[in-house]
Amino acid sequence: MFSFVFNSFDEAIYMNGHGIYVWSVLIIVTISLSIFFIIYSSKIKKIKKKLNESN
Amino acid sequence: MIKKFIHQFASPKTYLFQVDRFYHYIFYISLIIYVFSICWGLLFTPEDFVQGNSFRIIYLHVPASFLSQSLYAAMAIASATYLIWRVKLAAYLVIAIAPIGAMTTFIALVSGSIWGIPTWGTWWQWDARITSTLILFIMYLGLISLHNSFSNFEKADKLLSWLVIVGAVNIPIIKKSVDWWSTLHQSASITLTDKPSIDVVMLYPLIGSIIGFFGLVICLVLLSSKNQILIREKNKSWIKDYV
Repeated sequence: MFSFVFNSFDEAIYMNGHGIYVWSVLIIVTISLSIFFIIYSSKIKKIKKKLNESN
Repeated sequence: MIKKFIHQFASPKTYLFQVDRFYHYIFYISLIIYVFSICWGLLFTPEDFVQGNSFRIIYLHVPASFLSQSLYAAMAIASATYLIWRVKLAAYLVIAIAPIGAMTTFIALVSGSIWGIPTWGTWWQWDARITSTLILFIMYLGLISLHNSFSNFEKADKLLSWLVIVGAVNIPIIKKSVDWWSTLHQSASITLTDKPSIDVVMLYPLIGSIIGFFGLVICLVLLSSKNQILIREKNKSWIKDYV
């Protein structure tokens, strides 16, 4: 069940011509999730800082 | 009794402290499950006989698609809770979930379009599933814009909750679109009632990727709702103690 199905790293990237689709979707998902985590974390930090200053 | 239970456990203060307590556990467990399942699906599962390697997009597309509909359903439940029992936290959750729902729907649409190029020969088709998902994305954006256009939070919460409940009619349409109409989109591979039409070798990493993505999205909802609470409750005395 856990055997690497490609013969080489290059083959895993290329995926018989489908790599461009698969890896681009992975990049989009990773970037989208990361952006949202960064935005919300920085927003919370900013609000906490503001509230601390007003205290 | 239900009202008492909800008010006891759904106070923004209790919620915020619970979020801080459990957030890191949920985040790291979900991240590990997601990364492991994605690696398993993309590199360790055999190629699909018909679709070739492009089928591996399933591990990224299906979790996003599932979450895009589930988050809207969660918004509808939170809206009903707010309108019936006047639970403030439910109103905060509705607007906290909306941007995350828009993001997951965006991922579902884009990944589906990219998947469509090698499998259908086109990145877009105005068929029932894709069009109803696009409508869901527009609904998310509309709800966010509408809420932001109000200066009175209470009015915005009420209107938003009603609109979310009305818009919930789109969820069963998306779900059943592949059965009701003849579409390019394939029917569901996993259902609650039937045996999965996908082989277990491909199914296990798919379930893992759904669970992992679900956990990460829950973390985003927790952060977003925390952000809402800090904005909306900033004048309360307990918030000053909290920060």
